[in-house]
Amino acid sequence: MVMTKDPEHSLIERILAGEQHLYAEMVDKYKSYAYTVAQKILQNRPDAEEAAQDAFVKAFHHLGDFNRQAKFSTWLYRIVFNTAISYKRKYRHKFQSIESTIVEYREEANWMLEKKDKKKYLDLAMAKLNAADRTALSLFYLEEFSLEEIAEITGMQANTAKVRIHRARQRLADELKNLLNKEALTL
Amino acid sequence: MRKVPQSVDDILLDYLDGNLDRTELERAEYQIRNNPDWQSRLEELRLINSLLRETKIEQPSKNFTDGVMTHLHQYPAQKGFSIKSGILLLVVVLMAIGIATVLVSTGAFDNTSTSIDLNQIEVSKKFIKTPLPSFSFNGKLIVNIIIILNLALAWIVLDRTILKPFFQRRMQSGH
Repeated sequence: MVMTKDPEHSLIERILAGEQHLYAEMVDKYKSYAYTVAQKILQNRPDAEEAAQDAFVKAFHHLGDFNRQAKFSTWLYRIVFNTAISYKRKYRHKFQSIESTIVEYREEANWMLEKKDKKKYLDLAMAKLNAADRTALSLFYLEEFSLEEIAEITGMQANTAKVRIHRARQRLADELKNLLNKEALTL
Repeated sequence: MRKVPQSVDDILLDYLDGNLDRTELERAEYQIRNNPDWQSRLEELRLINSLLRETKIEQPSKNFTDGVMTHLHQYPAQKGFSIKSGILLLVVVLMAIGIATVLVSTGAFDNTSTSIDLNQIEVSKKFIKTPLPSFSFNGKLIVNIIIILNLALAWIVLDRTILKPFFQRRMQSGH
């Protein structure tokens, strides 16, 4: 557990005391990261938005259970992560059909791809990672979270988070190399 | 090009993350300068690194907060049975009731009565001086009780998996 003094604690006390409209401030503050976490898992904007909103509602109803010794954002993003994972399981068929979509390789004039094309292939490679690794990797590169926080959000053991992020990058590098090689072969 | 061992990947990723100490850094830089496999793998990992560094925070829709605040008091329904598993359970319970009812009506449990005499238990003789009662069990009665309990269970399952969701949907569509 990450022990930090969180500036939101007094706000939480007021919300719990009945000033529920103040929760909108917390939603505004954390919605972008919450949505990003859900988006990394679900890879679908409407579903990510619904899951993130659902997570905020769940968090509101469990606000009284929040351990004040912990960091609110980590606790919240853990709820978002779990909610998005359960959405993914609930609509498994839908997500499987997206993930198993055959990638069509467009012919390019030059196999030395532009960065935006490489980004496109990175997204395809990212889609092949499991949801926890994809989220951990994204949180790592957003540079807002420590490895301990990433582990807590994604339900990993703290000492395995670094290893999982390393392995995810290796897989991405291998996938990207394969995709770029296939691209080159179509020319 | 040979596949680079896992440990080399780890060193190169730590090199890119700036996590190597001075000695490890010198060793890694020596290998990168002199080993083509290390050089090409570093380029692959560097490309991934630079692409991932462009990871951006994504923005939800403008009415996101309003959506949350509107639904704040519509706490998500407790997850009970899924319709599929509920129907399956209902079928199993109804089958058990049917089988038990047929067996009872054909008289399969008519002669299945027994009694337990508490005075025959060794421990009770040692510590209790007064005579204890004996209990008799009628198999047919027990099966009838099980049938009634199963009927109650079937009703609960029917209510949770079919009736409640059906009327909730009707109420929501009515608004």
